[in-house]
Amino acid sequence: MMINDKNSQKIVDIIQNYARKHSLWILAYGTGCGAIEIPPTMTSRYDAERLGVRGAATPRQADVLLITGYLTTKTLKRVIRVYEQMQDPKYVIGFGSCTINGGMYWDSYNTIKALDRYLPVDVFINGCMPRPEAVLAGFAKLQELIQAGKADGARKYKENLEWYRANQKKVIPNWRMPEYNW
Amino acid sequence: MEEIKSTIIQRIKTHFSDATEKEYPYNRVDFSVKKETIPAILFYLKDEMGFKHLSHISCIDWLEENEFEVVFIVWSPTDKIKVFVHTRVDRENPVMDNVDMIWRQANTYEREMREMFGIQFTGLEAPEEFLLEDWEGPPPMRRDFDTEAYATNTYWERPGREDAKDIRETIEKRSGEILPDFAKKYTR
Ligand code: SF4
Repeated sequence: MMINDKNSQKIVDIIQNYARKHSLWILAYGTGCGAIEIPPTMTSRYDAERLGVRGAATPRQADVLLITGYLTTKTLKRVIRVYEQMQDPKYVIGFGSCTINGGMYWDSYNTIKALDRYLPVDVFINGCMPRPEAVLAGFAKLQELIQAGKADGARKYKENLEWYRANQKKVIPNWRMPEYNW
Repeated sequence: MEEIKSTIIQRIKTHFSDATEKEYPYNRVDFSVKKETIPAILFYLKDEMGFKHLSHISCIDWLEENEFEVVFIVWSPTDKIKVFVHTRVDRENPVMDNVDMIWRQANTYEREMREMFGIQFTGLEAPEEFLLEDWEGPPPMRRDFDTEAYATNTYWERPGREDAKDIRETIEKRSGEILPDFAKKYTR
């Protein structure tokens, strides 16, 4: 929502961010090994729904894209499509050391080594693989960033689309993808 | 068990003159044959001797000998014996007979070997791409394919892990957390 008056805009932002941070719907999509930590996070032991975290079936309904581990170039292609179909506000959480620096797949012939070269990442959770506590800490961090208005990965992506595209096309030589215009 | 194994060896050796056997303990028998014999010996094992189940087909790259070794593993549910059939294929011109009319699931293994090792199976009907997408390099499972160099050239690497240092010391410094003594013993 955009309001001309500066002070009322601030108040609207605070309310908006407060609402957003309490309804983080994650896309039910898992890559790599880390996806196996999502069920315990969601179910009764750790119960992520306390924080407003729950699953969403389609990219259009989801707010958070969890990249749960190594990404092959083949999966990266799908992930980019998924990310571009998601609607604002959207956030990306990179999960496990594979998304940070390649993890134990650092010398693999078909996995990327740094996720934030290809998609804007708001929060990284380290660990191989991170336990549900770490996952929840990551979500708490994301909520903090959202409340402070600092989780602006989607804006970064829009503004620097060329840089991201160039990196993506470097590892996906045969680029046959629809262009989404947000 | 031993009796069944020796009958299997005898029957195979009388039918296929080029088969050489190697015996292993327990329920395993190995045969090495020429690559032209492969469809015949597999047909014989399946139809005449009850080896109904194809467990696996795998491939070994013998770079020094300039050959690929293809291994078919079949299993007999009645005798509880597994037979390994080895064959060698020239590495420069790796062409083999397709066996997916014997077991349909062989198709999947053959596609994988075609993609990962570049072995061509005559008459194999399947799309060219299997696991890799838009792959332009040489078959990646060949031993002369330098995986590390390829990965370094293709994918950007975040600096900082070259020294392979244990990060626990860094964390200790940053957060003031004190490592127990026994943990220090394991740090590099
Ligand atoms: S960080 Fe570890 S657990 Fe996660 S995808 Fe990589 S290897 Fe698997």
